[in-house]
Amino acid sequence: MTEQQAGAATEGLIVAGEVTVGFPAQRTGYGAATYGNTEPQRESFTWLVVHPDGTATAFAGKVEYGQGIRWGLAVEVADELRLPLDAVEVVLGDTDRVPWDMGTFGSQSTARVGVQLRKAAATAREKLLELAADRLDLPTSDLSCEDGRVIASGDANHAVEYAELLAGERIEIDIVDDVALTPETDFTVMGTETARIDAEMRVTGAAVYSQDVQVPEMLFAHILRPPSYGATAATIDLSVAAQMPGVAQTIELDGMHAILADSDEEAEFAARVVQQQWDEQAGQPSRWDMPQLLKSSAQEPFVTQEEGDLDAGFAEAAGILEETYYIPYITIAPMEPRAAVAQWDGDRLTIRAGGQRPFGLRSELAGHFGIDEDNIRVVTQEIGGGFGGKSIYPVAEEAATLARAAGRPVRVAYTRNEETTLSTFRPAALIEIKSGFTSDGRIVAWDYRAYHAGERVMIGRRGSMSPYDTPNVRAEVFRSDSPLRSGSYRSLGGAVNHFAREVHIDEIAAATGVDPVALRLKNMVDPRFRRVIETAAGRFGWGSGDAGSGRGIAIGLDVGSYSATAVQLDVQGTEVKVERVAASLDCGLTVNPDGARNQMEGGVVMGMGNALYEAADFEDGRLLNPGFTRYRVPRSNNAPGIEVDLVGDPETPSTGAGEPGIVPIAPAISNAVFDLTGERHRELPIQRHLS
Amino acid sequence: MASVTVNGTEHDSAKPGRNLLSFLRFDLGLTGSKYGCGEGLCGACTVLVDGQPLRSCMSTVDAVAGGEITTIEGLANDGLLHPVQQAFVDNAAMQCGYCIPGFIMTTVGLLNREGSPTTEQIREALAENLCRCGTYQRIERAVGQAADAMTTAGAAE
Repeated sequence: MTEQQAGAATEGLIVAGEVTVGFPAQRTGYGAATYGNTEPQRESFTWLVVHPDGTATAFAGKVEYGQGIRWGLAVEVADELRLPLDAVEVVLGDTDRVPWDMGTFGSQSTARVGVQLRKAAATAREKLLELAADRLDLPTSDLSCEDGRVIASGDANHAVEYAELLAGERIEIDIVDDVALTPETDFTVMGTETARIDAEMRVTGAAVYSQDVQVPEMLFAHILRPPSYGATAATIDLSVAAQMPGVAQTIELDGMHAILADSDEEAEFAARVVQQQWDEQAGQPSRWDMPQLLKSSAQEPFVTQEEGDLDAGFAEAAGILEETYYIPYITIAPMEPRAAVAQWDGDRLTIRAGGQRPFGLRSELAGHFGIDEDNIRVVTQEIGGGFGGKSIYPVAEEAATLARAAGRPVRVAYTRNEETTLSTFRPAALIEIKSGFTSDGRIVAWDYRAYHAGERVMIGRRGSMSPYDTPNVRAEVFRSDSPLRSGSYRSLGGAVNHFAREVHIDEIAAATGVDPVALRLKNMVDPRFRRVIETAAGRFGWGSGDAGSGRGIAIGLDVGSYSATAVQLDVQGTEVKVERVAASLDCGLTVNPDGARNQMEGGVVMGMGNALYEAADFEDGRLLNPGFTRYRVPRSNNAPGIEVDLVGDPETPSTGAGEPGIVPIAPAISNAVFDLTGERHRELPIQRHLS
Repeated sequence: MASVTVNGTEHDSAKPGRNLLSFLRFDLGLTGSKYGCGEGLCGACTVLVDGQPLRSCMSTVDAVAGGEITTIEGLANDGLLHPVQQAFVDNAAMQCGYCIPGFIMTTVGLLNREGSPTTEQIREALAENLCRCGTYQRIERAVGQAADAMTTAGAAE
């Protein structure tokens, strides 16, 4: 246990385990940028404490942004420890209190941290059995744990409560890596329907998000933002603003111009009187330049898949299709714009923020300010939506810089326009597919070239590999210039690559006259894929005679989870009305069924907006639609009825549920529009191309 | 100086022209009402003024002077959740929860106007609010449950 893990218990059964610090599983992307130069080292942290009152606290470096991870982890701990769910508390995302963690993204929480906490809880359970064996004078083989007690087999009255075993004790143990986990057949909490543990604070207004944090003596910052991307300050005169009511200080530092005031409105009013001139960068690419730019600026490709002989495949094909797909930049638009409050106490910095990588942020701040990581505490609040984007959290550094200069705590909170303009976008992509197939719809050649904007190849690579059983395949992913700042988005490039591929598969079905469900099954042997397709089609009531009714289907594979989505829709003028969605998910062992369903439903709604309405419009370095007036996202009267079937095999290890839902929905919608209207939509968003 | 009653307590606004949402959040510390867009488009800031929903981000305190304001913090009674709050919990009608106070206040306003709203009325009222997590189906279910619960409770009285 490290000294800096403050708040750890002084009494009870304390279970520690080692973590490789500074060594992400994949040393690419954020990992390489943040930790690439650190030597990994193993450190021990407290993962779980069983308190002398018989309740338990679990510690995890993950954060809660709506995916229900606090609930999911509590379910796992409660089951392994044989405690009621309400006896388990989960502490998340506070760098002084929780084990080091890479960050909350890529649907890794249940798969990795959940397993670690299960091991911690199972280790604790074994220890409690040992303690009880002494107390009850019985071998552990005659004992079992149930509802916070250790009981003798065959005599429920011969029992001892965890609280009695731990009263006045301090016992430290290490996680036993090969401890026996509870088999799926003995689950009493996992896999069952439970009530979300942190729901009440969200319906009473008690939940504190980063936008809500207030500390004594705090100043509200207004930072002057450039009018266009890449603009630099020519002259900015803050002297008049400094005289405005409520203004405490004005600060010019590190290229930042800020007004600090006693209230949010006073800072904002003062900003209106600032004389400012900016040097703007002329000649920046605009949205209509994108398709061409993606190809002309492409770097050497990464080959993500190569099998067989493409030329031979096309030579044997009875039909060949060659089409191009375009997916524009979109924004994340979480309901909560980023905010942070920074507080310095000498050289010690406390940041209250809402980012997806608290330890990464701590590392970045340490580097920026030249102070030791141990002198920085990042406290993660409730997060009002992240979807991958809040892995990047620049307001924290801004708040810390201003707070240090001001000598008082400072709050920096994005407005909606700042949130959209200054955040990253899901990169635009141009995708070219050439396929060859037999007359009965067997795909024999697949040539895939995807041009994704931005430097991080892991985005465009995700989902670029065809899951179909095609003997001759080549998939290439190119990085291209990105006029907008590209970054993470739910499923990274997964939903983008799936859109092109699954629309193209539908085109092969149409060209060969084979039913879209049958065509997919014909090209797919993986039983997990076949099961999700058959389940979604079955739930939907997919009948071979219903072609033309406005139905579409698509499949997805993301973070190791399989999904399929069938949609029914209508087109009324330029408005697409998605009426009904049947979705299926195989994420292996489903720890929290309602949590998984909720994630699937959310992925469907978000992906529907991506498919029908959303595109970030920009012209010459200016974002034209940063607010909800001109950037449409789905509302309740647009949302379809969604049925979700969970078909994961409990014997298969858990994979993610947060991302697979968004992957097949956009192509399913495009395919359904084609089914109804005969018009093929290869470019998003679809509603801009309806007449 | 404008005077308003918030959750039953009378307050004087310190500054003329004070934005109602900022007043609630920063002057009174009632941060359950959320900032989402500042343009009246997302509904996260929705409060009740004399029982009817208002986008507090688009109002000043002066504009509602003399009014009875209810925020999300004022709904529960002696620790007992309001039926609408309870219905959101029962239906797990949330993900990140940032928009939920606004949805709940919109719903309470709707049920103040219409004791037994039709599905169409529910959808129309809820379309004023945004949930980027996409939990609309659950929210609609929760609103239906709350409407039923309140009708039953009303009939029993």
